[in-house]
Amino acid sequence: MSEAILQAQGLTKDYWMGASRLRVLQGVTLKAARGEFLCILGPSGSGKSTLLHLLGLLDRPTEGSVIFEGQDAFSKPKRWRDRMRNEAIGFVFQFYYLMPDLSVLENTLLPAMIRTPLVKWPLAKRRHRQRASQVLADLGLAERANHLPQELSGGERQRAALARALVHHPRILFADEPTGNLDTVTGAEIMRVLARLNKKGGLTVVMVTHDERVAEQADRVLHLRDGRLLHGA
Amino acid sequence: MQDQWLASPWLLPAMVAGGLVALGLLAVVLWTPVYKHIICLKYLFCGWKAVVPMVSALPAALGVFLLILVFAIMDGFVAETREMTRGTLADIIVDAHMEGIPYYDDFVRQIESIDGVQAATPIVQTYAVMRLKPRFAGIKPLVRPCILIGIRPAEKAEMGRFHEYLERQRGAGYPAANVLTVPQFLRPKSEPPHPGCIGGIGLIGTPMPRWVEETVQAGAEWRVLLAFMTAVALVTFLFVWQASRRHPGRRLWRMARLAWAGAAVALALEATFIPVVPTRIERKEVVDVPLVDYGADIVVSTIPVRPSGALEVEAGGIPKVSSRVLTLVDTFKMGYWEADSTNVYVNFATAQQMAGMEAQPASEGRPAVPARASQIQVKTANPARAADIVRKIEDAWRAFVRERPEAGLLPVSVNTWQTQQRMILTLVVVERNVTAVMLGLMFLGFGILVALISYVMAYIKSRDVGILKAVGARDVGVGSLFLGYGFIIGAIGTAGGLAAALLTLHYLDPIEIWVNSTLGIDVFPREMYYFDHIPQHLSPEWCVAVCVGVLALSTVASIIGGVLAALKQPVEALRYE
Repeated sequence: MSEAILQAQGLTKDYWMGASRLRVLQGVTLKAARGEFLCILGPSGSGKSTLLHLLGLLDRPTEGSVIFEGQDAFSKPKRWRDRMRNEAIGFVFQFYYLMPDLSVLENTLLPAMIRTPLVKWPLAKRRHRQRASQVLADLGLAERANHLPQELSGGERQRAALARALVHHPRILFADEPTGNLDTVTGAEIMRVLARLNKKGGLTVVMVTHDERVAEQADRVLHLRDGRLLHGA
Repeated sequence: MQDQWLASPWLLPAMVAGGLVALGLLAVVLWTPVYKHIICLKYLFCGWKAVVPMVSALPAALGVFLLILVFAIMDGFVAETREMTRGTLADIIVDAHMEGIPYYDDFVRQIESIDGVQAATPIVQTYAVMRLKPRFAGIKPLVRPCILIGIRPAEKAEMGRFHEYLERQRGAGYPAANVLTVPQFLRPKSEPPHPGCIGGIGLIGTPMPRWVEETVQAGAEWRVLLAFMTAVALVTFLFVWQASRRHPGRRLWRMARLAWAGAAVALALEATFIPVVPTRIERKEVVDVPLVDYGADIVVSTIPVRPSGALEVEAGGIPKVSSRVLTLVDTFKMGYWEADSTNVYVNFATAQQMAGMEAQPASEGRPAVPARASQIQVKTANPARAADIVRKIEDAWRAFVRERPEAGLLPVSVNTWQTQQRMILTLVVVERNVTAVMLGLMFLGFGILVALISYVMAYIKSRDVGILKAVGARDVGVGSLFLGYGFIIGAIGTAGGLAAALLTLHYLDPIEIWVNSTLGIDVFPREMYYFDHIPQHLSPEWCVAVCVGVLALSTVASIIGGVLAALKQPVEALRYE
């Protein structure tokens, strides 16, 4: 196994419902190797999304640590985690989460717009637009670049979300039920894209899903039940 | 006032500080990630939902417009009223009322030796009754109460703008020293010459309606209206343009976009090129028409008051009345009704005799009485320092009384003209401040509106907040996006209100005349306000203060939305439905 890009050690996450505590994750430990396609399979309510949010540095664990590229992410300042999400991590969500007021191209440019100050934008814009257009073309969305998300089909929206996740050459891609909201054909198409990115581009993919057929695409599958991994990481 | 502002030693440091702040803000804006600018503008102008922030900019625009307009006009009133009252008075008035200041010429010299004093002159002032025979047939002689003021014309001319308010002798062709001299052409050879007098137009005349010719800028009102319509068309175009982007390829939207762009350009061109030409019009006005001609005789009666304060009486204890026939050589109109309707100016010596303030030799065991003046008016080199000079004059008077004990323990009041006229000036200033408070309440409403809109925006855009944070935007950055949102609402309102106020002030008189002639509403009755134009004084400091205040208010009010967005956890925000 090649070097680990991501490690989770004893991840625990509690939510408080008034005075009562709800433990969603209970000491999850796992590793993802660079270039691996890792799938976390589990039924609804097993804590998949919560785990993905912790691994993607979107949320802070109650206990445990996340080691991203050798760095303990939650002992670093929040600014570092923000920068990692902007430069090294890509996210694809079940409900696409595209900004409705921005066109597909603008949504794809979002990571670049977040790290580029206004003063540098006129010079950088052309380069970023070229890259975004290229990613959209690769995903078959060249004609839809200037459309708003609500004018797109479900599959197109997910591909637009994927374009946004890939535009900045992330080192790891987190996918949260990427086919959960799509029909079988469109879902299969998205999975083919993810597999291609992993096999040809060497992109590390960590996906959570409840669909065993979708999980078949992965190199390795981990089963999550009631906040615990059933098989060893 | 503007000259004082320009001469202020604080001007350069203030400009440097303002420039540095502006540069700092510009640097902050330029170094801010570009997503904030783009998303903020999308929120503001994207689709018909954007009507809400635009509508919320309206109270700001209205508030800025009214604050600048009302303050410019009220400041104009204050400034012109000050100029007028100063025209009849001086910077400082040393007042001994009816008791009179003895040895006034000596004290005048002492005052003139004070640093910062340019000139000083004694004045005699006493209450009187005037009787005149109108030139119109059938009108009985009129008797009116008045104030008789004795002046030394050459010295009085140095005090203020008295000479400029004269009706007949205004201008360089009439030496200030001779304004009370009865000219040969007004003096019938058969009659003995009488002292000349100048009467206020409100005292000598009577108000009568008449048609007057006036030059107005015809077309200016349409230019203002078209400019406002251009602004509305531009804002509408922005909405249509943004809305049309949601419907690419739709012919109707494309046509609507073109139509609004065309309308905005056409209106802007029309507003720019519409002819504005000076045109003479006739308008009905109430003016004071003199009831007597120049050269007419006027009888003025006073009751002389002795230095002891006792009235001079005749046999039987009846107060002695001193009546003099005076020849009217001029009228004056300074626009300050109290002065125009009561004051009669005569030369100093005549007024002294009529008021009983002339020197009287010793007789029948009574000591000699020195001549007296009821006031000394003082002109300063720098009116802003008048309060300091008041204190020096008070010290000088105390020293003068010690040196000349025969002057007696006379209660003399020394005031600046502002203090003496504080009633009228304070009234306008109080009105202005009340207006400011009322408009301030409007801004409070605007602040609450922006706060609510910012909160609601941050709430309904929760998912956007989550997306931005998931893609790496920082909490502070996402929070400041909503601050920028509030700032831009304030900026739109401020820019609109400021432009509307400046445009309206520029064409104030033509607009007022247009409203009067078209709608029949007399917004500014000239005979009531006694100005022949709507006075205005636009203070740059005030404009800057109002604009900065509104921008700061809208930014501060939107903090609530900014904090809500900044504190929102991305995972929480993404779950928002």
